[in-house]
Amino acid sequence: MASHPSALARPAFRGIGRSILLTLPIALWSLLMFTPSFRQAGRDQHVGAAAVIVFMTGLFFLMMRTGETYRWRRIFFVALGFLFPVGFVAALIAERGTMSIPISRMVSGDTPFCFMVTPGLILPAAFTRSIIFPGSILPSADHPHNIAAMIGIWLAMTLVLGKAWCGYACFFGGIEEGFAAIAKRSRLHRFVTRFGGILRLIPWAILLCVVLLSAALFEPVYCMWLCPFKTVTEFPAVRNVETALQFGVFVTLFAGLVVVLPFLTKKRTQCGFFCPFGAFQSLFNKINLFEIRFDREKCVDCSLCQTSCPTVALSKESVHEGKTLLNCMKCGACVDACKKDAAVWHLKGTPVGVKPERARLLFLYGAWALATMFGGSILANSVATMVHWLPLK
Amino acid sequence: MAALSLAASAGEALVLGLTTGPVCMASCGPVVLPWMLVQPRGMRPHSLQLCLFLAARLAGYMVFAAAAWLVGAAIPRAWSGRSWTFGLLDLLVAVALVVYAAGWPRRTAAEPSPQLVRIGETPRARPSGALALGFLTGINLCPPFLVAGVRAAQLAHLYAAVFFFVCFFAGTAVWFLPFLSLGFLKRTPALVTVARMVAVLLACWYGFSGAWLLIERTMHG
Repeated sequence: MASHPSALARPAFRGIGRSILLTLPIALWSLLMFTPSFRQAGRDQHVGAAAVIVFMTGLFFLMMRTGETYRWRRIFFVALGFLFPVGFVAALIAERGTMSIPISRMVSGDTPFCFMVTPGLILPAAFTRSIIFPGSILPSADHPHNIAAMIGIWLAMTLVLGKAWCGYACFFGGIEEGFAAIAKRSRLHRFVTRFGGILRLIPWAILLCVVLLSAALFEPVYCMWLCPFKTVTEFPAVRNVETALQFGVFVTLFAGLVVVLPFLTKKRTQCGFFCPFGAFQSLFNKINLFEIRFDREKCVDCSLCQTSCPTVALSKESVHEGKTLLNCMKCGACVDACKKDAAVWHLKGTPVGVKPERARLLFLYGAWALATMFGGSILANSVATMVHWLPLK
Repeated sequence: MAALSLAASAGEALVLGLTTGPVCMASCGPVVLPWMLVQPRGMRPHSLQLCLFLAARLAGYMVFAAAAWLVGAAIPRAWSGRSWTFGLLDLLVAVALVVYAAGWPRRTAAEPSPQLVRIGETPRARPSGALALGFLTGINLCPPFLVAGVRAAQLAHLYAAVFFFVCFFAGTAVWFLPFLSLGFLKRTPALVTVARMVAVLLACWYGFSGAWLLIERTMHG
């Protein structure tokens, strides 16, 4: 992986003792989350849980010690992106022998719920009290994993953290972030700079289309036709021309938006220029507590922050106004990249630039707790799966 | 007796329209919403455009009611030309969306840029767009429309069938009033651009859907 601009050798931000003290809440949270795994009989689960506790706590310690956010978050996020399909697909293969979903599974509502479909559920649910996704809103004997619980967790975290969901919990974004990290420099920098303003509006247009068409057709249009990540998770079984076409669209979008374009642009192109769920999440940036702000007196217009932003959430105008754009996912890349300390974490309602590290800490406790709970359990499952399949016994 | 029967039929159609209105709104929403969003801000232009859209939709309903009554109840389900007709209708909706909401033909020689989406420019209100989109959605089938079509075909007279559809239309039209609230949204260049992108994307969808119907019809007969 290419090193980030912020990865220059900096003096230690905090002493070891203080960093350990600040890491303690996350260490306890990780133990709380994964202690139940140790009650299970399998060695694989024990290994998975232990690895995740060490991994998540270690990364948080490094955030505290170095004062950098993006670099350590990216390690977790890329690991999550690449390991999620391992655990998920292994479970599918073990259970049904294929990644494709048979029609019978869809009819019986046995399709795992994905948060991506949330915006498309709202209108049909409001008008008809039915959902357009195979599954049940509330828990029942047949469907203990209800959709309401998943949406509840997502909503609670989103109200506090805003679009940080896309940078700390989404199990898809890490794949493209991984591919974006490979190249040393962007080969399409001019293109992104010139057309960034238009490109970042596309997710809003796709969101509106998906919501309208889902209500009109009463089906999850994004899942049926547009989700690139179907390629590495599960997809409707190919049984005719239509399903073959769907599969072709998934693979093309995955190859283009998740592999090739991130490699060429060093940006999360699916997240920044396509994902309707990301656009939906952006709305919550208006009301959540945390944001990144820019001190105009310190800013020297070097554009390092704009170049480092993985989702093109900064423009010259927005930096001049001292703000990010609505689609900022609070990954911290701009703050870490800024050599003049002009980019700062900010808790809304407090003066800008006063105790920004306190705002960062408060934000990171929430975001990392979410990452540990949501992403960590996925990582633990994937590690357990790999341990199970590796010839170590 | 005839008047009583007509009144009962009107009541039935109105209730059917009111109860199935959300489905009509959802069905026509993809066409109405981007069109309304590219209109200038304000209640007056929005009310005018919605009235034109609904008037053209009513005309479409009446044409369909007359056809349903003349051909009989078989039209919605078993009519052999159905796939061709609705495939072509979807293609026409796609063309109308691109032409009117994305504003293709209004480029003049004075405008040097051949961009499909001219960023942020709010176009002048064009009555023909609302009329074309309203009529095309008016004769396109949605599930409540099918139900109303079957019921209209069972009525004794042509005028009764048309009257049934007028009442059905009145019931569904109430559900279109929330679209007027779009008039209050501030027209930023970004919003207008997004609305135009939506129109183009939806045109792609309708185009694909129409072409798919035609291909399936050609392949399977």
